[in-house]
Amino acid sequence: MAFPKDIANTVLVQIYRRLPWLGPRWAQRRRFVEGRDIPWARLTKPLAESVVALVTTAGVHLKSHEPFNMDDPDGDPSFRAIPSDVQRGDLIITHKYYDHSAADRDINVVLPLDRLRELLAEKRIGGFGPFVYGFMGHIDGLHLRTLMEATAPEVARLLKRDGVDAVVLTPA
Amino acid sequence: MGLVQRAIEAEGIPTIGISILKEVTEKVRPPRSVFLRYPFGHPLGDAFNIAQQRTILLNVLNALESITEPGTIVEPGYQWRRHRFE
Repeated sequence: MAFPKDIANTVLVQIYRRLPWLGPRWAQRRRFVEGRDIPWARLTKPLAESVVALVTTAGVHLKSHEPFNMDDPDGDPSFRAIPSDVQRGDLIITHKYYDHSAADRDINVVLPLDRLRELLAEKRIGGFGPFVYGFMGHIDGLHLRTLMEATAPEVARLLKRDGVDAVVLTPA
Repeated sequence: MGLVQRAIEAEGIPTIGISILKEVTEKVRPPRSVFLRYPFGHPLGDAFNIAQQRTILLNVLNALESITEPGTIVEPGYQWRRHRFE
């Protein structure tokens, strides 16, 4: 049986889906970690010669992975490594804070795997990073520190290890 | 998402992110963004709209190559379900 707060969350997700202008108002009320200096790295070669990787915070992971923790109101700061040649049927989305019915039907709405594969076939990019890294976003409280000091830098190092030259990030 | 993006860029890898909440992106300040006023769950548009997804991804890759000023937010201005993608 669903808890009342889960039902309230489901109703809220549908309200935000139908009234997208509520999004900016939500953002105004919520606190965010504000950036000061902006990190900057240069592309060292044309995209046609660059290995491009995808990273998403839409809660995408393999069905064989442990799902993201939806019981913690501060979210789940961990990540999942997904082989970028994954079959569509092996993916699932664990995220209760947005309506992912469109992405459940077509993952490219939040994670453009097929579109990037097409651009690779057309030689618009030089390569596709071997792994996609999936987070769930919606991180708050103490988990923000874990994300900023542990899991996000770890993914950055893994991307380096993967030989990635540039990264495209997609939210939900 | 911007926090993850900043961490990757800090490791020396250039990044670009799609934003569907400009107010958040302006606070978090990731290095490069493409903003679309699209609903949650639709950063690349609609399911099975290949032309839309492809156009947005190409816009994103172009912005990755062309942005020279840290913190730039590019706005293609596609209206949700009004703009026709060919």
